[in-house]
Amino acid sequence: MGQSQSQSQSQGLVGLFDGYAPLPGTFDEMFDASGAPRPAFARAAQLLAKMTPEDFARAQQLAETALLQQGVTFSVYGDARGTEKIFPFCLFPRLIAADDFRRIERGLQQRLRALGMFLDDIYGDQRILAEGIIPPEMLFGAAGYRPMLNGIKPPGGVRIHIAGIDLIRDPEGTWRVLEDNLRTPSGVSYVVENRVISKRMFPRVFDAARVHRVDHYPTRLAETLRSVSPIAGDDACAVVLTPGPYNSAYFEHSFLARTMGLELVQAPDLYVDGDKVYCRTTRGPKRVDVIYRRTDEAFLDPEVFNKDSVLGVAGLMRAYAAGNVALANAPGNGVADDKALYPFVPDMIEFYLAEQPILEQVRTYVCLFDDDRQYVLEHLPEMVVKAVDEAGGYGMLMGPQASADERDEFRRRIEAEPRRYIAQPRVELSSCPTWCAGHVEPRRVDLRPYVLTSREGPWVLPGGLTRVALVRGSYVVNSSQGGGSKDTWVLKETA
Amino acid sequence: MISRVADHCFWFGRYVERTEATARTLAASASFALDAELPAAQVWRPVLVVSGEEDEFRTRIAGGSDDHPAWGDGEVVQRFMVWDDDNGVSLVRSLGGARWNARSIREVLSLEAWEAVNEIHLWALGEPGRTMYAQHRDTFYQHVRRATQLTLGLLRSTMLHDEPLDFVWLGVLLERVSQTARMLDVHHHAFTNLPARPDGGEVVETALWLTLLRALSGSEAYLKRAGGRVSSHGVARFLVSEAAFPRSIAYCVHSAYERLCDIRPPEQHELPGGVSLEQLRVLDAWVAARNQEPLAGAAVHELLTHVVDEVHEICGTLGKELLGA
Repeated sequence: MGQSQSQSQSQGLVGLFDGYAPLPGTFDEMFDASGAPRPAFARAAQLLAKMTPEDFARAQQLAETALLQQGVTFSVYGDARGTEKIFPFCLFPRLIAADDFRRIERGLQQRLRALGMFLDDIYGDQRILAEGIIPPEMLFGAAGYRPMLNGIKPPGGVRIHIAGIDLIRDPEGTWRVLEDNLRTPSGVSYVVENRVISKRMFPRVFDAARVHRVDHYPTRLAETLRSVSPIAGDDACAVVLTPGPYNSAYFEHSFLARTMGLELVQAPDLYVDGDKVYCRTTRGPKRVDVIYRRTDEAFLDPEVFNKDSVLGVAGLMRAYAAGNVALANAPGNGVADDKALYPFVPDMIEFYLAEQPILEQVRTYVCLFDDDRQYVLEHLPEMVVKAVDEAGGYGMLMGPQASADERDEFRRRIEAEPRRYIAQPRVELSSCPTWCAGHVEPRRVDLRPYVLTSREGPWVLPGGLTRVALVRGSYVVNSSQGGGSKDTWVLKETA
Repeated sequence: MISRVADHCFWFGRYVERTEATARTLAASASFALDAELPAAQVWRPVLVVSGEEDEFRTRIAGGSDDHPAWGDGEVVQRFMVWDDDNGVSLVRSLGGARWNARSIREVLSLEAWEAVNEIHLWALGEPGRTMYAQHRDTFYQHVRRATQLTLGLLRSTMLHDEPLDFVWLGVLLERVSQTARMLDVHHHAFTNLPARPDGGEVVETALWLTLLRALSGSEAYLKRAGGRVSSHGVARFLVSEAAFPRSIAYCVHSAYERLCDIRPPEQHELPGGVSLEQLRVLDAWVAARNQEPLAGAAVHELLTHVVDEVHEICGTLGKELLGA
């Protein structure tokens, strides 16, 4: 029996994985350096290998058609005709072993507890500054810091109800936090929808692999929202606030409202009277207690933030400050996922929890510190330099690819304004077998797990959004630059 | 229920119904044109008149003239009524409107209903729909009709029967009243003013009435009620007053009133919507009372004009009172 199994395994791997070669100097999620499947995934790899490329191509095609017909799409900005596209999807799943995910889960819970305490502290006594753990200039320069929120306590005591934490895996296979998303992280709808598709396409492989379910996320999210309501329990009215159908993530907003059974509202549907929030309905005004807002906080309330916002609800922040409405996520969270504060998250964990961080992060040099700055300037060709107040790839130097002139330019900028810059060594993202026009090739991936925090504390969805750089040689997993997604299979413990 | 959402529900219903009506009318006219023995313009022009886009067609397509050959060119008229992006009631515009409204309230519709709308939209505007249109015209219209009927059926069989569905259905019914009234008005006028023909005139007239009935999916129902006799008076009476025919004016107005009673119960005076409800109640009673009066000649036109005007008025009041306009 053992004999025949190992035989069919080695024969099977030739099938779909024929010619698959992990990238040098890169951790492959599915295969070890010798080309054998990692032990936890042997069974799934064996079953997947039995598919012919023709079978797989057909399944991939069916999957794409299904996503389009279900309208699992994002809107393309700047297109007057309201063009929608499906988020490119690779049917080949990304697997995560049970013990790996157990560590991720504990690490994320720890991280979210510390980040929540950091926000309470920053908008309260600011002990972490007083005790010299974080240099004040790092905080006061952070774009996400909102001093006008000082002293406001969020209903239910929770600030980071929904977090999406981006993880990558280095060449040794070590998981590292690359970025925290604590404002309006998106993508979880694809986690749930991708799963529907892969269950339909690979029922046997899926069954054999013993995968944790993800479809209870909306139920947990609804519970999380209710848990922070200023009024008790079942009578609480929670809504999802969207900027509208032209927003690129509109599908997700409507998906979450639908799967939670909540109303999807737009700002003009809401108004504030006597520091209470009401919704305009066909039966007159209805009181709203919890708002899962997917509107950027700059557009939440024209009285406080962006004065020209037409997306906002005037007076919303007054109602929030009075404790009459819970906002998820709380405004002001941007300070905790700011690039300038990221290097200090391990310090926060030690400071607030007196624990050692469970998850590693990417080594980050803070140019404000003399030693760090000197190191960065001496090693610019190996570094990725980021301006802390810019996002989306702007204000960045990719050291390994940059020209000498570009590096000199950044050297001058860092010396002129050291506080504005941090630097990290470029990490070789791990790779995963990916369907590339007719066969399977390694492509680089990251992972965004989702963490919900209710009054009872953080909960991690056993799954996540795997984003994949579909272009050969690329490190960019962003959907606007050739990135796609995969279903993420977190395996159950072996019985 | 949020007023904006109610508005999307209402317009979703109207656009789905309008899509179906357009497909049905064009299919019936295309079939009729094959053996009509009438000048082609007399087959196709009424389609444009009913759509309310006669002037638009004259200006943009027919060179500003009423004698232009485009009026009788079935291909030109169909292209205008199916694909023209600038024609506000073209099939693609109605389908786009249905889909856009549905997308704005996806969380309100059932997944199955949403998928049905999304699929027909993708199909009709994509390669499969265009190919079908070019090669099998009648199948194209049939496919669109079936998809819209599937959508309406799915709404009723998969959604909660409460306020959102009531608003969708209110939209469907009020759109249907207008469609039936305008179709009957235009055709009644055209058919009863046909030039006398020495031979076969009656045959043509019968065929015309049957075409109208087919365009309203009512030929079988009518023939059952009328025992196979086709007359202008009989058809008009049927389309106005037949309480059991789901596309008659009496049926649609009364059902719309019932839907609005569910949305805004008559005894709950504190709720908004009282004026719309009263307007609809009065129209319902008025249509019912017409059953007692003879229906011929100019009376038909007056009756139908009144219905169309009242429905227009009611939609305006609904918008202000309940739909956040």
